Amino acid sequence: MKKTIQVLSLLMFTALFLLADYRLPDWLPADIYLRIDPLLGINAVLAAREIIPRVLWSLVLIGATLVAGRFFCAYVCPLGAAIDGLDFLLFRKMGRPGLKPDAGLRRWKYLLLILIVAAALTGVSLVYFLDPLALLTRFYTFVLYPLAIALLNLLLDLLRPFLQGMGWTALSRLHYPQPVYYTAAATLTIFGAIIGLSLLSPRFWCRVLCPLGALLSLISPLGVFKRRVGEECTRCMACWQACPMGAIEKDPLKTHFPECIQCKQCARICPEKAVSFPASSSGRGEYSAVDVSRRGFFSSLAGGLTFGFLSIHTPFTPLQGRKELIRPPGAIPETEFLRTCIRCGECMKSCVTNTLQPCLWESGLTGLWTPKLEMRMAACEPNCNVCGRVCPTQAIRSLPLEEKTHAKIGTAVLRKETCLVWAQNKLCLICDEICPYNAIVFRPIEGYRRPVVIASRCNGCGYCEQRCPVKGASAIVVATDGEIRMKEGSYISEARKLQLEFKPDPGDDLFVITEN
Amino acid sequence: MNRTTGRGAAGTGDRRCIMADDNHEISRRQFLKTAAAGIAIGLAGSPSFLSASDEIDLAVVSGEPAAATRKALEAMGGISRFVKKGQKVIIKPNMSFAKTPDIAATTHPLVVVAVAQACIEAGAGEVLVLDHTLQRAELCLERTGIREACRTLPGVHVLALQDRKFFQEVKVPEGKVLERVAVLKDVLESPVLINCPVAKSHSTTGVSLGLKGLMGLIWDRDSFHFRFNINQGIADLATVIKPQLTVLDATRALVSGGPGGPGDVRKPNLIVAGADPVAVDSYGVGIVPWYGRTFKGAQVEHLLAAHQRGLGKIDVENLRIYKGAA
Repeated sequence: MKKTIQVLSLLMFTALFLLADYRLPDWLPADIYLRIDPLLGINAVLAAREIIPRVLWSLVLIGATLVAGRFFCAYVCPLGAAIDGLDFLLFRKMGRPGLKPDAGLRRWKYLLLILIVAAALTGVSLVYFLDPLALLTRFYTFVLYPLAIALLNLLLDLLRPFLQGMGWTALSRLHYPQPVYYTAAATLTIFGAIIGLSLLSPRFWCRVLCPLGALLSLISPLGVFKRRVGEECTRCMACWQACPMGAIEKDPLKTHFPECIQCKQCARICPEKAVSFPASSSGRGEYSAVDVSRRGFFSSLAGGLTFGFLSIHTPFTPLQGRKELIRPPGAIPETEFLRTCIRCGECMKSCVTNTLQPCLWESGLTGLWTPKLEMRMAACEPNCNVCGRVCPTQAIRSLPLEEKTHAKIGTAVLRKETCLVWAQNKLCLICDEICPYNAIVFRPIEGYRRPVVIASRCNGCGYCEQRCPVKGASAIVVATDGEIRMKEGSYISEARKLQLEFKPDPGDDLFVITEN
Repeated sequence: MNRTTGRGAAGTGDRRCIMADDNHEISRRQFLKTAAAGIAIGLAGSPSFLSASDEIDLAVVSGEPAAATRKALEAMGGISRFVKKGQKVIIKPNMSFAKTPDIAATTHPLVVVAVAQACIEAGAGEVLVLDHTLQRAELCLERTGIREACRTLPGVHVLALQDRKFFQEVKVPEGKVLERVAVLKDVLESPVLINCPVAKSHSTTGVSLGLKGLMGLIWDRDSFHFRFNINQGIADLATVIKPQLTVLDATRALVSGGPGGPGDVRKPNLIVAGADPVAVDSYGVGIVPWYGRTFKGAQVEHLLAAHQRGLGKIDVENLRIYKGAA
């Protein structure tokens, strides 16, 4: 039962992940797992210092936890399912040292939670690093999905002669574009470490480190269903040994409720069938206190505040908006964006052209893993608005296509010194050919037709930068100048105010064919 | 045709260089073409193909996209003049941009459907509608409406082949600037290629009709822009990729802002079909004013270059043209 639900949940998480592309129907919230995560929600709200409507979805999980306890960890959490599944595959037969249930280790997750929340109070988003759903989405995006596509293409290549022989025309010509991402190795390392920690004990991550588990455990003892041990108990300690969370105390009649995830492993394993999970009215002194020492609390608080202080007070902050960093269309103003973005990578997965890439050090510690456009590699597709639609915290606003078209992300700047036409009088007009907005036109200058950018028609999509045939750096690059970053309101009206027009303007393109 | 390259290139464009063809190798393509030509001559000799249509160079039909296309094909003597039973046929529309048909940057889906359907009716083994798109493939297939329009036709596959493995390098023996070019394998392996370009302006080459559209069948189109003169490159390419039939979709014409649009869209409501790719293009140039001016085919540098290589007729006045309405 538990395993079935876990598998289903992991499958649903995977299916929603795969569905997150430009074809995503409007009614389908592909980011629903991330939306219901209260840890992500609380941190985004604290860091941004305002209520984010989409985050209110997390009340669903808070409510459910208040009713049914910390069931999320055992049944719903896809990272939990992945940990359990890989545990079964990799470590099942290994003798593990195990952890003492009462070890101080499990207090770490509370300390991490405090640290993260403290950092959020200073306006620094740190939650992404350890939140299980953000972490798993990132792992899916940067590692698993590209790997799956690579294997799929490899399989297709191997089968191609056969497919051709069978006369399956379309299938024998099938090839999927290979997604590529920065930080794939780092992401794999982190995920691998989390899985590897299970070598110490099952669900080490969930017991000791997961800050979402910590958050849920604060309210889960208020839940209705509670472990109860009947008088048949012989104190054989089988449940004590089997509990994956170490939630059963030395006296097996007692349960450390914050740790109990309702997996009911103890009930299954009990030879006397003495364990049950009846509904009971809570609040009768069964709320076990969370054992964080005062010293630990203050250390974590200080650590989080220090981290926040150190990451904000660097030159990256005054340099915001003064360095070339192209954000997705609809990204809210940079400071708010950095505070709100939870770096789940969902936008980068769904990006149809693969131009959305995680930032490395471009905007410092506060900008790690935030999405940027890598335009030399790929452009922002005019027919796609999916990045905002799948953003669980709306750091990228969900916009209708027409609005997104007007959410200017930058302006193309022509570098005459390297442009083949300007510098070498060659017949290259690829930037004009590809420009979806007709923002590049040709003007007869010095007897040659030369490309010129009309800034008011350029929305910064980057097709020109991508396709420029100059080797090395493009001779036409999108600069952040002219980008429109708004927290609310219509980009269309803003563009109109700025006298921008992303529409056909017939006849402006002067192609002069002279008769000789 | 324009000032940057005008006289020089045209002046050096002396006749074909058949004499210099020492290291002549028979490629599979050439073999197939020769074989196909032989079959075609054989068939053309039979009475049913001695119709009036055989004597015309172009069929120019006005009307709605589908009906005009069908009529134009009939006027050219029926598609069975070009497509034999069991043959694999490649149709090359322009679906390089993720634009809807009203932008006129891509071939009208109903034109493609009409041609594909005719091929199937003529007994074609299978019909591949192919392009190497500039924008993201799946978006192009979707937005142009071509994939959807062909969905119900059995034996017709609309594909955008975007990986190098689907291309094969061939020599360009008659190339002036192009020595080798990687062409879609399917094109090299098929006896019949039907080019279905849309009529549009092009900021580099003036117009983009049939010959320019052939660049959608090669892997590396960028080097046409920066390595050598694109107009000579297009003519070179036309010496190795030779469509048996060109069906120019001038139901709409993007007369400025091409090739990607948006721009000024006119509605000539014409389909121009012909076996001579230069003649079709040359006629296409005269259909509408481009960028507000009227031109002749000979003023378009790549057409002139192709004509000078002996790839087709450029003087519209001397063409035998069937004109009709559907």
